[in-house]
Amino acid sequence: MSARRVAVIQFPGLNCENESVLALARVGLAGEIFRWTRAADELRDFHAYLIPGGWSYNDRVRGGALAAKDPLLEVLADEAERGKPVLGICNGAQVLIEAGLVPGGSGVELALARNRMTARGGYYTRWTYVRVDASPCVFTRHLPAGTLLPLPIAHGEGRVAAREGETVSALTRAGLTPLRYVGADGRLARRFPDNPNGSLGAVAGLCNARGNVLAMMPHPERAQVLESLARTVSGPWAERRAAAAERGGDLEDQPGPGLAIFEGLRRHLVEAR
Amino acid sequence: MSAVRHAQAWVELNTSDPEAVSALRVARVHLPAGRRLTALRRLRLIELSGRLPERAALEELLHRSTQFYNPHKERCSVRLSAAEAVPAPDGAAVVLVCERGSERRPAAERWWLHETGEALEVREGAAWVLSFEPGAHAIELATELTMLRDRRHGLLCNPHSQDARVAMTVVPLPWIEDAACSAREGSHVGLDAG
Repeated sequence: MSARRVAVIQFPGLNCENESVLALARVGLAGEIFRWTRAADELRDFHAYLIPGGWSYNDRVRGGALAAKDPLLEVLADEAERGKPVLGICNGAQVLIEAGLVPGGSGVELALARNRMTARGGYYTRWTYVRVDASPCVFTRHLPAGTLLPLPIAHGEGRVAAREGETVSALTRAGLTPLRYVGADGRLARRFPDNPNGSLGAVAGLCNARGNVLAMMPHPERAQVLESLARTVSGPWAERRAAAAERGGDLEDQPGPGLAIFEGLRRHLVEAR
Repeated sequence: MSAVRHAQAWVELNTSDPEAVSALRVARVHLPAGRRLTALRRLRLIELSGRLPERAALEELLHRSTQFYNPHKERCSVRLSAAEAVPAPDGAAVVLVCERGSERRPAAERWWLHETGEALEVREGAAWVLSFEPGAHAIELATELTMLRDRRHGLLCNPHSQDARVAMTVVPLPWIEDAACSAREGSHVGLDAG
């Protein structure tokens, strides 16, 4: 059975394409870097799409604002409408939000705004705990609600914001916020640094109503093996790493928490065949 | 110290601003309202409110610290009243975009206090200067290009986290402070068409 093909779309300035392809390969998917110079229609040949992190167009105007106008996004919107999965990570999430693919109603409904933190501003990087909430999201629905995933964030503009604050609560009630920042104890992160950017509702990832498009700020591809887990991380994943180390295994071969997002994609593509 | 309460510093790169160059191309190629856009510039608009010195001393203070601008790569023009011209050509629309709730510049305020002993408020936003083909309805097109609605409409301001004001001949002073007040009252885009 041939591997499902996933286009890893690279705009100028995106720089997480290689590790994204590697994470896809670890779950048996064929990731292929698709650069902005190719004809947009060639995207239609792929089974799924991933826009990785980085700084598309140097974050000019706003993070993701210029890439969101690229004709590639029109094709991506068409294919998403047909049900193909689309994952945006960090800057990729900004592109999807600015292009209105998430939450996918009428036009742009949200912003991933500048971080709002206690006694500091700008770019911030940290390992966070993200909780999986019940959702139709194809990337997370194989995980039991309440699953904790330690994942790193690294951004200056990742705060989920809406003109009407009620928008985000409504999305949460509708199950369209599958990933939310929590403390190590799994309780919703109310303040910095557990909520690392001031996101409304501690939202770390949002999907569309159909569940096939996910925009998430944390980087699952940077947590694809146990070796990459920060020493500050506690809980079951830290125990898993300690146990693997004790057995003398190579931690670079052991799946990390971020791989769960890619595994969700693989399962969905297998079911959709 | 004079009785002046507000001043604006309009800061622009001496070279072409890459952000404006990219935005101009995207607007002209991908957005219907951008087809008649002929030029786009981006300036940093810094607004100072408090007990301010006379123009020469004010200019010298701004020149002295990169909290405000870097004279090796940027130029700065100061306005002390709304009657003074802004660095924009006749007929151009000027669009102010601010991050909602993040307009203040505490580091610049601390520097000013340290240097002068005076406490003042410093706010900053982006000022985009849009020029259109003759006969185009500049205010209408500028507003359309400003407010992000979907992939084909709007670019400069995402109203879910930013506020925008659009002006023509006369640009208010203060402007950022007024825009923030309007936003608090629920208006996230405003027209100051002088």
